[in-house]
Amino acid sequence: MKKECIAMLLAGGQGSRLYVLTSDVAKPAVPFGGKYRIIDFPLSNCTNSGIDTVGVLTQYKPLELNSYIGSGQPWDLDRLDGGVHILPPYMQEGEKGSWYKGTANAIYQNIGFVDMYDPEYVVILSGDHIYKMNYGKMVESHKAAGAACTISVLEVPWDEASRFGIMAVDSADNIVEFQEKPKQPKSNLASMGIYVFTWKKLREFLINDEADPDSSNDFGKNIIPKMLSAGEKMIAYRFDGYWKDVGTLESLWDANMDMLSRGDLDLLESSWPIYARLPAEPPAFIGKSSLVEHSVVTQGCEIGGTVKNSVLSHGARVEEGAEVSYSVLMPGVTVRRGSVVRYAILGENCMVEAGATVGENPENCDPEKWGVTVLGPGTAISAGETVLPNSMLNRDHKEVSR
Amino acid sequence: MKGLHGIIFSYEKHNGLGELTAGRTPSSVPFAGRYRIIDFILSSMVNAGITDVGVVLHGNYQSLLDHLGSGKDWDLSRKHGGLRLLPPFEQTRGLDGARGKVEALAGVRSYLADIRQSHVVLADSDLIINIPIQDVYQAHLASGADITAVCTSSVDSEGDVTFFRLDKSGRVKDTLFPLRDRTGCHRSLEIYILSKELLLELVDECMSHDQVSFRGAVLQAKADSLKIQSYVWDGYAAQIRSLNEYYRRSLELLDPSIRRELFPAARPVHTKERNDASTYVDPAGTCCNCLVADGCTIEGTVENSIVFHGVSVAKGAEVKNCILMQDVTVSRDAVLHHVIADKAVEIMDARTLMGHDHYPMVIAKGSKV
Repeated sequence: MKKECIAMLLAGGQGSRLYVLTSDVAKPAVPFGGKYRIIDFPLSNCTNSGIDTVGVLTQYKPLELNSYIGSGQPWDLDRLDGGVHILPPYMQEGEKGSWYKGTANAIYQNIGFVDMYDPEYVVILSGDHIYKMNYGKMVESHKAAGAACTISVLEVPWDEASRFGIMAVDSADNIVEFQEKPKQPKSNLASMGIYVFTWKKLREFLINDEADPDSSNDFGKNIIPKMLSAGEKMIAYRFDGYWKDVGTLESLWDANMDMLSRGDLDLLESSWPIYARLPAEPPAFIGKSSLVEHSVVTQGCEIGGTVKNSVLSHGARVEEGAEVSYSVLMPGVTVRRGSVVRYAILGENCMVEAGATVGENPENCDPEKWGVTVLGPGTAISAGETVLPNSMLNRDHKEVSR
Repeated sequence: MKGLHGIIFSYEKHNGLGELTAGRTPSSVPFAGRYRIIDFILSSMVNAGITDVGVVLHGNYQSLLDHLGSGKDWDLSRKHGGLRLLPPFEQTRGLDGARGKVEALAGVRSYLADIRQSHVVLADSDLIINIPIQDVYQAHLASGADITAVCTSSVDSEGDVTFFRLDKSGRVKDTLFPLRDRTGCHRSLEIYILSKELLLELVDECMSHDQVSFRGAVLQAKADSLKIQSYVWDGYAAQIRSLNEYYRRSLELLDPSIRRELFPAARPVHTKERNDASTYVDPAGTCCNCLVADGCTIEGTVENSIVFHGVSVAKGAEVKNCILMQDVTVSRDAVLHHVIADKAVEIMDARTLMGHDHYPMVIAKGSKV
């Protein structure tokens, strides 16, 4: 059935810069903020924006992501007409069919899916950003401008502009030039990797791009520059809320800490809820001898010790006499009595036995050697063991270098 | 079809829950931070593999309907069977709702006749328990009993409770209510298993004799002609029939050993999912010995309390030995001791409200103090 607008969510990325955290799962399935996984943000944004049809393009280690999304019910995306669809690469007649070669190729391979809904507009999203955004408003502005493509942009500090894809615009916010990680940026408007396309136009460009043997079939590298040079109307859509790419360990840790400070990213603010699929667990228990400060706790947590400036996901346990600070404990982590965890990210179901030390405060450490300590999902730390700052262990207890 | 069908009674009875049931049935009274009382027996049924559950309704059931919805949160939204909500749809004589279980069942006689399963488990909805009902069913089949009645050896309870006298083999010899001298007795937990055929037979027979009470007309009157076998459950079980009981049983959950019994990992308690973010505890706040659901903001002091989702406690406020239901707001410098604040209650700045350990103060739903 015809839809005015559908969303395509690129969720196939390996997330190699999250190292051990994505050894078993795709990046969008990485837990965030106590109750969520990264993909909850774009999915919930879709629902809250009134978009009821979402294609999720998966490729890398999709099992957990697939079962997490399931019917789409937690996001109200289990719909008779539309709803959420998992779209892995597939074989076609003859020997044709391949892995998704790039972001644009992923959409190209699913032209058939998009055509089923015959939409006027397609929103392209990625599964590695934390933000609350009304895509509906962006589509409205795209429509009003009669653009072929609208790119959501964020003002970044000038000295950081060279780390982003930068959009140079004229006075009416028409995009005049796109610079990928420029040394001399012409503007400080960074692309957030969120695009609205008029489907007819995009379809044309995808087909042409596929025929180009020199193309890497990527939106940022190929489609956007080609549209620009073809003189298509392209608009920058300014966004001024919280947005963070959580593609690195540091930015993932930062975004969790940003959430704690409840500034621009206030998840407790209820006008734009983020939905999640959660196991059935009783409320958190905060014990008699515990101290919890500037932290979040989630259902299923059992806290007996000290928790400061930390994010505790569902089912995390901190026993009496243990101390957790400036850390992110993903679902099911246990920190036994007398252990100390500082400035660390502990993947799902990690077990820190009694009296262990994981990570260190930056002030007690050579700045050269300091960094957030990371334990991959399922890592077991034995009693009394010390895991140094900036180190990273996988589930086999092997050190992984960054 | 072999197996169990669940029937839960959620009709208005005289209850001692006072203002907590002013706008809801006892089964939908909030409990344990994120549940309604009915969640416990309903989850026990679902965890035992029961796929079809009928909830017999009467009275003020709007809030219960709202909670149960299609049953999807209990995995009971099914093409065949699943959750069925049963307001009385057949002529019954009691105008103010069912006078007893038999009359309530007679009110849904045609539903009973269509049950696909060979056996039925009947249960009350004011029972807090996490019991492997499949074990009771196996025991029922093994004993060859006509009716299996789940009971506990702990006889302390308030309100209208049923007691059994058992013989050495565990057969129910007598059913008593009320009862002053309870020595040697067992207290019924009001969970009964019997075959569908026997259930229909009993309902028809009782109704023809204008007998409405299951415990009177069946358990008591037929102790000799039917083999009524006990199943003694000495795990956690609470029949919430008075305000004191509600208060005491709620705060009891702060004991880890009780939580382990009520929330074993193998038998999760399901409930309607709300979308709240994790709870935030501010540096200005202290929170200890509390059960805290998601979506709360704690900036004041909260001790020995049960805190439901969406509660906020402002700076300088002090909450001790309280039950704060969903979306309660406690403003700056307010002091609350031994208070049960119902849903969406708003306590303004610097108010002081004190109940007592044995006489908690209840603040009605939505009140502004």
